[in-house]
Amino acid sequence: MTVAVGVEQLRLKFPGEPDILFQGLTLQIPKGQKALIVGPSGSGKSTLLQVLSGLIPQAVEVPLKYGRIQRPASWGFVFQDPDTQFCMSRVDEELAFVLENRQVPRRDMEPRMREALALVGLSPDLLNAPIRTLSQGMKQRLALASVLLLEPETVFLDEPSALLDPEGTEQIWTSVKQALKDRTVILVEHKIDAIVDWIDRIIMLDEQGRLVADGEPDAVFRQHKASFERYGIWYPGVWDDYAASARRRPVSGSPGPSRNGPEPSRAGRKPSVLPPAFLTHSPQAAPGRAPDSRDGTSLGETAAGAAPPSRTGPDGRPLLELEQFEAFRGNACKLRIDRAAVAEGAWVAVTGENGAGKSTLLLALAQLVPTAGTYVLRGRTIPEIPNKRRVPEGIALVFQNPEMQFVADSLFDELAVSLASPDKSREELADDVRRLLGMFHLPDDPGRHPYHLSWGQKRRLSVATALASRASVLLLDEPTFGQDARNTFAILECLEALRADGKTVIMVTHDRRAVDHFATEEWVLQQGRLKEVRQIRRT
Amino acid sequence: MPEWLTPQKNTWLHRANPALKAALLFAVMAALFVTRNLVFISVLLCVYGGLLFLSSGHSWRKLLLLSLPFVFAFLSSSLTLALFGRGEHVLWQWGIVKISEESIRSGLAIGTKSLAIGMISLVFLLTTDPVLLFYALMQQFRFPAKYAYGFLAAVRLVPVVIEEWQTRTHALKVRSIAFSKGVKGAYERLKLYSVPLFAQSIRRAQRMAVAMEAKQFRMDQPRTYYHETPCSGIDAGFAAFVLGSLLVALASSYG
Repeated sequence: MTVAVGVEQLRLKFPGEPDILFQGLTLQIPKGQKALIVGPSGSGKSTLLQVLSGLIPQAVEVPLKYGRIQRPASWGFVFQDPDTQFCMSRVDEELAFVLENRQVPRRDMEPRMREALALVGLSPDLLNAPIRTLSQGMKQRLALASVLLLEPETVFLDEPSALLDPEGTEQIWTSVKQALKDRTVILVEHKIDAIVDWIDRIIMLDEQGRLVADGEPDAVFRQHKASFERYGIWYPGVWDDYAASARRRPVSGSPGPSRNGPEPSRAGRKPSVLPPAFLTHSPQAAPGRAPDSRDGTSLGETAAGAAPPSRTGPDGRPLLELEQFEAFRGNACKLRIDRAAVAEGAWVAVTGENGAGKSTLLLALAQLVPTAGTYVLRGRTIPEIPNKRRVPEGIALVFQNPEMQFVADSLFDELAVSLASPDKSREELADDVRRLLGMFHLPDDPGRHPYHLSWGQKRRLSVATALASRASVLLLDEPTFGQDARNTFAILECLEALRADGKTVIMVTHDRRAVDHFATEEWVLQQGRLKEVRQIRRT
Repeated sequence: MPEWLTPQKNTWLHRANPALKAALLFAVMAALFVTRNLVFISVLLCVYGGLLFLSSGHSWRKLLLLSLPFVFAFLSSSLTLALFGRGEHVLWQWGIVKISEESIRSGLAIGTKSLAIGMISLVFLLTTDPVLLFYALMQQFRFPAKYAYGFLAAVRLVPVVIEEWQTRTHALKVRSIAFSKGVKGAYERLKLYSVPLFAQSIRRAQRMAVAMEAKQFRMDQPRTYYHETPCSGIDAGFAAFVLGSLLVALASSYG
């Protein structure tokens, strides 16, 4: 067995971090093996790849120590982010970049570029295309193609599908299986169900980068199933397990959902954790309202098994209505909806291909882009006044990148900006802030800078700020994108709890399972039109 | 190339070596900077204005539109100097306005200088592909690869930053952040925009740098080039053209 890559007694410490990562890790990967490294966020999986390839310490300076290391003679690295792997603007220029670095003569460049494109399943016609016209999946395939031009014996892949939609994910894995058949592959991923059949070996690390499991996929699965769940890995069957799970975390310290099975439906809702100011309705449910079948029970165990009844406002109209509604980006009409309505307390999942108009819909509902037609919110028509469009009251839009919405230097200020009102005292404000922090499982450290949170925490903070602005309709642009299973479930449960308290959720997503398990209706958009509205029975 | 820079047709100027073209045109601009001779400047203005309109491969309408800012510069600087400049042979005076022979002459000189420099800049900008320019700088002038590719990567990222700026604007609207008027508002905007945009840009830059190293980008080693930018007869011709224009301008100014 020839060893392609190996390290003995690896120890590494990031400056500024208290702990030592890896703590003496020893690992050897034979030639031709397809190895998958899994573990929780922060376990150093990407760091390990960078050490094994030599990027650490060559390109990234991090102090590290090891007994012995064997790095591959030739290697290539595919990174996670499709948009920051390329330094050139055109496909051929990017591929040529590798060949230039290797001092390949000019006349040999084009045939090699075509060959690489063919190996990953991209058309040679793309050679002159600007990279920004490619889809994210195609970009990752291009990254793989440029790696192949290095003629690597070992290829490292660092979560190549993390930032891809399902279509892109399928594309990249197809290309990987096709092009890397005969090479050593070391792969880090947490969306593993599409690739796990191709893998020879799974290596599992814990939070400190210590080896927890190492062996054939079936064996590792059998012995360490609980760890897969705990580490938030998207293993095959994770959604089914989630749905069936009776021991799900209660959200935000609410009087916990029953852990012993479905509780008999109560007429009226469980007391809410939200301070009264945030509630859309008072906690005492109006009599005449059907019992909330979600209260206190876990998903998958609703006693009645029926979709929550559609709730209408006091005058019987739906919360939000659109008629002959058009939205414009620049001067082009990108979205046209003949008629649609959203009931209060609904969870609308907006799906469709890239470019179908999903984000445009959210921007239009928040009045951030010009619109035409009728848009009625809570019985009041939103006027269309060019140049003076304001975000309608009660609507909050949560962007895909949470950092884009932060405006303050501390968690306290971040929430206080939206919470503050003239009739509130400082103590009340501080109380509300603390309450919100607790609700969203954010650290109870109001002085911390928002940028010093983990990605999942930042995501929850951005939803918290939306709630703090007393919004009753939450618009979310792909809130679970690129996240591991744990964070995904956490944010979806947060939203579910908010919905139980009367908020309405409209969410753009690619995640089929999230739609099926959480949404009450699905709007399918296609090329700027609303193709279908699908009611979902939640069982 | 961005769309508005793309010419209707490629002319001989497009085929000239971009780095040499830059050097030659820069020499002309340097000559213009130091001179005060109106005739010299005017001749060069006509020559390069003519070059722009005849040989740049863009439509006259677009060129006129792009020249507008320089025309404004011409008007503002020449008028300012003509009305308020120093001079002895006064033609007309009222209050602080003092029009004299000298002030008119120097006003015209400065104005036409701005216009001429503008024409030369447009000739360069509208006939040069930035990617080819950096390749030529590396090949002809031994410009260090790390800076060249750094610039090229930056060119690639500019549209991304613009989009991010817009997202930030939307996000601030959603958070109901209103800015004060005037300078205070400008300062607030600076603070609120720069932090996330810088954070994102720095992250992106770091990732890109690591990716480039992973592609075996070695900054100090020789490399081959995909876009080969040779020197050809066209460059000799252009050099002759530039030299000729300077000589003609010089001769006219003495004649």
